[in-house]
Amino acid sequence: MRDVIRILIAPLVWLAAFSAVYGLHGLICGHGITGTALGLPLPRLLLLAAYALAILLQLALLAALYHPRVSATEGFTRFVSRATGWAGLVAAVWTLLPVAVTSYCG
Amino acid sequence: MNALQRHRRLTTIWASDPGLRGWFTTVNHTDLGRMFLMASFFFFIVAGILAMLIRAQLATPHSAFAGPEIYNQIFTMHGVIMMFLFAIPTFEGLVVYLLPKILGTRDLAFPRLTAYGFWCYIFGGTMMLVSMLLGIAPDGGWFMYPPLTGPLYSPGINTDFWLIGITFVEISAIAAAVEITVSILKYRAPGMSLDKMPIFAWYALVTALMILTGFPPLILGSVLLEVERAFGFPFFQADLGGDSLLWQHLFWLFGHPEVYIIFLPAAGVISTVLPVMCRTTLLGYGWIVAAAVALAFLSFGLWVHHMFTTGIPHMGLAFFSAASTLVAVPTGVQIFAWIGTMWRGRPELRMPMLHLLGFFVTFVIGGLTGVMVAVVPFDWQAHDTAFITAHLHYVLFGGFVFPVLAGLYYWMPHVTGRKRFFRLGEFAFGMIFVGFHVTFLAMHWVGLLGQRRRIPTYAPEDGWTAVNLISSVGSFVMAIGIAMVLIDVILNVVTAVRGTRNPWGAGTLEWAMIQPAPAYNFASLPHVTERDPLYGTPDMALRLARGEGYLGEPRRDWRETVTVDIASGRPDFHVIYPANTRLPIVMSAVTGLFFLSLLLKAYWITPFAMAGVAVLAWRWVWSLGRKEDIGPQAIGQDITVPHAAQVARAPGWWGSVFLLTANATFFGSLLFGFAFLWTVAPGWPPTEWLPASLWELGLGLLGAALAPAAMHGASRALRRGGRPRLGLALAFGGTGMLAVSVGAMMLHTPPPVEHAYNATLFVLGGYAMFHVTLGALMIGFLAARVRRGYASAARQSEFPIVTLWIDYLAAVGALALLAGHLPGLLA
Repeated sequence: MRDVIRILIAPLVWLAAFSAVYGLHGLICGHGITGTALGLPLPRLLLLAAYALAILLQLALLAALYHPRVSATEGFTRFVSRATGWAGLVAAVWTLLPVAVTSYCG
Repeated sequence: MNALQRHRRLTTIWASDPGLRGWFTTVNHTDLGRMFLMASFFFFIVAGILAMLIRAQLATPHSAFAGPEIYNQIFTMHGVIMMFLFAIPTFEGLVVYLLPKILGTRDLAFPRLTAYGFWCYIFGGTMMLVSMLLGIAPDGGWFMYPPLTGPLYSPGINTDFWLIGITFVEISAIAAAVEITVSILKYRAPGMSLDKMPIFAWYALVTALMILTGFPPLILGSVLLEVERAFGFPFFQADLGGDSLLWQHLFWLFGHPEVYIIFLPAAGVISTVLPVMCRTTLLGYGWIVAAAVALAFLSFGLWVHHMFTTGIPHMGLAFFSAASTLVAVPTGVQIFAWIGTMWRGRPELRMPMLHLLGFFVTFVIGGLTGVMVAVVPFDWQAHDTAFITAHLHYVLFGGFVFPVLAGLYYWMPHVTGRKRFFRLGEFAFGMIFVGFHVTFLAMHWVGLLGQRRRIPTYAPEDGWTAVNLISSVGSFVMAIGIAMVLIDVILNVVTAVRGTRNPWGAGTLEWAMIQPAPAYNFASLPHVTERDPLYGTPDMALRLARGEGYLGEPRRDWRETVTVDIASGRPDFHVIYPANTRLPIVMSAVTGLFFLSLLLKAYWITPFAMAGVAVLAWRWVWSLGRKEDIGPQAIGQDITVPHAAQVARAPGWWGSVFLLTANATFFGSLLFGFAFLWTVAPGWPPTEWLPASLWELGLGLLGAALAPAAMHGASRALRRGGRPRLGLALAFGGTGMLAVSVGAMMLHTPPPVEHAYNATLFVLGGYAMFHVTLGALMIGFLAARVRRGYASAARQSEFPIVTLWIDYLAAVGALALLAGHLPGLLA
């Protein structure tokens, strides 16, 4: 089962992060959160922090999947789990990119 | 024992009952797979006839062929039957028939569950057909948006047929998904490690996991809408704290993955058939597995792209637009792997290959228009037009029907044991391909000209007449092609000559047996050392027939097989399957009675039906037990393994893990609905919270801590040869405390008809109470087993299963109580 988890973990974490950021966006717009911090609008800052966290999580997972103590011993599983690890990272970077470039509640 | 004697002995053990009785008592996967496929193709024809009626209506302007009310039922039922009664059951049927054969084993993990799922599908599908014959079929479109389908605008029974009938059918899908997942992970030929699994099994595994997590949001949506319609709980009524957009979220959380649930098995067929047609092996096996997994997950991040015109903020739209474009990448990886396979091999233009080429052309066009509608500004223009209808038909017909027809011709010799004699199929393919593209290219065109989907008619001055007529003519050409396929199949089944074994020269294990397949599949189980075992060992079929594999000597009328370690494929347990029984059909009939009582609002029958299901479920599980320990079993090749009843992680434990995965998705969707309404719906916060009570909350949380701790203690005690009764009694007490606490919460909830908050709390409480009842029944079952001598330190496998369920009960019970009490406490 560990090998199956190695294959599924990165996309699963992407899905959780994607849903969480969408939920955070809903909360920000639904409850009208406003204000500024560090010279940026607070909603944008919160969303950017969540985006960064999602990418960091994917990077950590990918690093783990390349680490000898965590990565699969068998070649096929090692390859597939790393490929899905990269898929999770690319998905996090691309699908959550709108937090940096579009209006948030318009 | 020679090969013939072995064949006769195994046939006696494994065959379905003779005659008509066998139809109703069979638990054999080959028979059930064929029954599934016959039923699903019957529904395909019904839905195809409905499609012809739609095209007849739209062929001319101001058509008087059908009035709007009947037309609404026709297009709704076309979509409903194609999606729920044809596409998913065809996947189930194909997998039920094929999976044990291609994995090198004798049956699926839970044969009675296969039969139960089949009969639920038949009864639920029949319910839908009856509604159509009576003229009271669902008429709100296949995705049933409220408020149109709410009690105010659709007061008749039509919508209830959809909500209740489809939920009934979905039991079949969930049952099949659990079955498939456990079968692929555990029921494989010894030696078949993950990297040697046939690619079809990877696709089936990914699809099954998607069903387990994709269907529960729809089941929840159906339950909530039916409860709103029947009892007035206002989940989707904006004036009472509900929101009709909640339905769209729940529906498309299912609906978009559904597209890939339909496509991925078809991709499994392509990846299996294409290399054989090209006389080579599949290029990029590992890449394809990774792409299928990535595609499955990405598909869950696309649901809002069906809701681009609902007023969602730009950033929300951009998330889903980005995800929708990204999904083209893993799809492209698969397409390029298939093209590479063709490039490397020597393609032969045989019958299955024709349909594969039809797939390539059609699906790529459908994929490209998919990228077009993933772009928000384009979608705003094309939304709700015939362009979208055409796009989805390119994806679904191209991505499912062409591959399924390829699979039909590929595996027909396996099912019938005959060689195709008449050559009607080639001509039929031409008719289908040309007819399809004429129909749906024209439909793209008329959509861009502004024709909305689902309109019953139009005026000549709209300028759509000629295009619609062309589209209708194309559809009738396609229908004639489909009819010719049917005739071709019947003629070949009835009149063709006997064929040779493995006529395509394939490498996968389903061809290493007699054709048509015997009830037991393999006289002895193979040991697998490569991905295409028949290429390395061409005489494997003969060796297995001679009993040179595992379990080659039938014993004591046992239906035996072995399970394997998930990763390595090393044999780990010995399994004895249950024999033929009427229990699945009886239980699905009683389950049907439960749904029928809801449909007809005969609520006095409902508790009796639920009790009936509980009694039958008890009997179902009880019949599996033994009063004596079975020692380690020799399976051949000098290997001995323990029996599955004597291990902690028996097949039932694995089945429970995946059923609970679906269950947790349902509960998670309910919590999402609660949070969504709280955040987005108008009319929040409610005027009155649940009166919070620390005593009630504390009692429930104590019960939630006690029940699992005591169950773990009982399991431990049994394992060490002690008495588990005290642990069971304490666990029962813990569930009782939870029951009191949850019951009090439901009792003190303000009237659920007054606000969506109250209604949601009531449903949360009801969900927890259902699991409390289930947990109490399970603990009672274990107590009865201990009392009657069915449990021992060796025969311990039932305890971990119940422990798993009690752990889950404790978690959802505690969460439901916290969701109920915390707002009041904080306020």
